[in-house]
Amino acid sequence: MARIHLTPGLDSMIEFAAVSSSVTRQHRRAGGGRKHAIRRMAGEFHNETEWILRDITTTVGAGESVALIGLPDEGREEFLRLAAGTLMADEGLVQRREYVIPMVGVVPALDRSYTVRQNIYIVGGLLGMTPDEVESKVGSIAEQADIEGRLDKYLGTARPVVRQKLAWSICMSVDTRAYAIDQLLVVGDQEYREHCWAILERKRAEGVTFLVSSDTDEHLQRFCDRAIVLSGGVIVAETSVEEGLEMRKAMTPDSKRKREKALADEDDEDDYEDL
Amino acid sequence: MLRMLVLRDLQKTYTKLRLGYLWTLLEPLGMSIVLWLVFSVLLSRNIGQQPYALFITIGILPWWWFTKGIAQSTRSFKRNANALRISLLPTQIWVLRVVLVSMIEFIFSLPIIVLAMILTRTVPGPLILLFPVAIFVQFLLMYGLGLLVASGVAVIPDLARIVRIVMRALFYLSPVLYSITKIPEYIQPFASVNPMVAILGLYRVGFWSAEIETAWHYALSFGVIIMIIVIGFLVFKRLESRILKGS
Repeated sequence: MARIHLTPGLDSMIEFAAVSSSVTRQHRRAGGGRKHAIRRMAGEFHNETEWILRDITTTVGAGESVALIGLPDEGREEFLRLAAGTLMADEGLVQRREYVIPMVGVVPALDRSYTVRQNIYIVGGLLGMTPDEVESKVGSIAEQADIEGRLDKYLGTARPVVRQKLAWSICMSVDTRAYAIDQLLVVGDQEYREHCWAILERKRAEGVTFLVSSDTDEHLQRFCDRAIVLSGGVIVAETSVEEGLEMRKAMTPDSKRKREKALADEDDEDDYEDL
Repeated sequence: MLRMLVLRDLQKTYTKLRLGYLWTLLEPLGMSIVLWLVFSVLLSRNIGQQPYALFITIGILPWWWFTKGIAQSTRSFKRNANALRISLLPTQIWVLRVVLVSMIEFIFSLPIIVLAMILTRTVPGPLILLFPVAIFVQFLLMYGLGLLVASGVAVIPDLARIVRIVMRALFYLSPVLYSITKIPEYIQPFASVNPMVAILGLYRVGFWSAEIETAWHYALSFGVIIMIIVIGFLVFKRLESRILKGS
């Protein structure tokens, strides 16, 4: 049934072999001063295809907790999605031994117009749970997310933290051996976070594999054994978490680089920015 | 899982509106009445089979399903972009879902045909058994075509508008309002290239045996349907990675 292809005989959990992935970004025509004013107003777009990941070769062993360190918008998310298989590589091959649960954008996948129960069924189903499996876990998921009382109420305008807790609880209930997590390692207030950590540590002790990307350094330091450092679409190092975080501090965000470049290029007096 | 998604969709449409299920009946019913008034009463043209009121409902309902399903499949990947990002399920299910939902709505709207049968006091012949066959064939056609347009739109958004125009043209090019037997004979072989000709014919043979076509025409129509399904799948497989990327 499932689209994701598994390789049961694989030695490690996830294996990347010379994987490249491109993204197409639409840019609003900006700059160009009066010359291109009409084109700008007409909202002309131009597409730019850029390689966000280039020639990635690495392995994640079973039971490892690996931190994926890099700057935002420089391929972390794509890396995780490739690992889970929700994104297909343009070149190269990603193999995985078991299903990797993609915790990348689970919160937006919750639908406001459905009840909490329906959301659990749908998101659980998307992540590969069978309806029977969800059925038996609905109670425990709701309990874990602290929303038993609202199980049959519409998700509607539930606060972000409630949505996060719900998404997190659903993902953690999936019977899986591997996760690819973007940001949502732990959610909620201090007390709830401790609860999250307890569950994560238990899973880790059971030998579940984690591939984690986060902007909170402490989370990575606390949870991960080693780090893969991404910069400019390539792996620049596979090292310890501490060193990886040091390397990130030295990186310049892409957006900042572009801004600096734009400042340097700006010699046209009547050049104005798009709003 | 698919069953669940379909049920949720139906539930959503039927609980959001005050009249709920009635709308499934009222919408095509209103359309049928208007067209019947125009062609039968105002213009008094004999373009279909008699009784025309029944003839037109059997044309409109499947057509309603067809346009609705195809129009929705053009939006299916974009609308489900958030779910698609985390989905470990086959990507096709998002198209299958809209096709199934529109099919169930079509089946729910069948009482209109029964109503028309009672009003016109018409009893179908044994060939009415081909009615479910027609539903099945139309489902296959829509799945293939849905995949084709959905994948196409995911890569070229402009295609959605083109599909809309083509669907409108197809409405007049398909024997919805008229009977295929009423068009000039030398065009009839070419008409069968349009798969809806055979499908609408299958729906209608139970009532009017004149609607039956030669085996050759059916073979041509079904050949086209199979071709659409194959092309739909090939295009979809080819574009799947771009659909997942969302561009």
